[in-house]
Amino acid sequence: MKELFPRGQVMGFAFSLVLTLVALSVIMFDLSLKMGVIILLVTAFMQAALQLVMFMHAGESEDKASIYTNVYYGLFVALVTIFGTMLTMIWGYQ
Amino acid sequence: MKIDNSLPLEYSTEENRLKIFGFWIFLGAEIALFATLFATYFVLVDGTGNGPTGEHLFKVPTLMFQTIFLLTSSFTIGLGINAMRLGRQKATIGFFIITLILGLGFLGVEIYEFVEYVHEGATIQTSAFLSSLFTLLGTHGAHVTLGLFWGTFIIMQIKKRGMTPETTNKAFIFSLYWHFLDVVWIFIFSFVYLKGMM
Repeated sequence: MKELFPRGQVMGFAFSLVLTLVALSVIMFDLSLKMGVIILLVTAFMQAALQLVMFMHAGESEDKASIYTNVYYGLFVALVTIFGTMLTMIWGYQ
Repeated sequence: MKIDNSLPLEYSTEENRLKIFGFWIFLGAEIALFATLFATYFVLVDGTGNGPTGEHLFKVPTLMFQTIFLLTSSFTIGLGINAMRLGRQKATIGFFIITLILGLGFLGVEIYEFVEYVHEGATIQTSAFLSSLFTLLGTHGAHVTLGLFWGTFIIMQIKKRGMTPETTNKAFIFSLYWHFLDVVWIFIFSFVYLKGMM
């Protein structure tokens, strides 16, 4: 039975629950928008990294380098899309 | 077909390894897809017109149910893959079934939430904010729905054919998809709901 619940994954799950609670703090306490967004950025990206490494086994095959390159490239495209859109549609006018 | 027994079954042939890598490339494209939907949402979030705002609409209980369901399902499918690598077919299928039930729970709460929104006069046509919100949440929900069917067929195949290099490879790729949906939800949870309620 014990082998079905590997320690690493159980810890990872517990940690992801803790991160969720930390993220919740932004609506529990009266924080500034800037502070709140920083907390959310940190918790969200930590959660994502946790999933990638712990649960998706991103680094275990010989394709490790290609997989990480692909993920970083996807992330780069995503950030350029989001911040580029914000710049051209909102921030550029302020 | 050359089978390398030193590797987990789902990686045991070159074809299997390449299929897993190919799926990672697909997930890269999915990241780009959701990025466009997030970008649209962030631009239109203040365009509420005469409709309700996010602060008005979002509720903590439904949000927490959805988050806990999806987070836990991501954990149980991870346990499913672990059991698969130990060669424990019954446990694998058990964990996969729990995963799908949790996914169904998530979807149920999301549908309930959408019905509530519409009752409060927040439809997809009400405002730019709501159009982008429903598109983002709906695209994620549609992915979960597809995943429920996909996962069901994977379970049926494992039951029928046992744990072969093919079925374990399919199950592993499905687990990647499911974890990815959890990752997308984490960003929706943080930057749509929590930021909207701040």
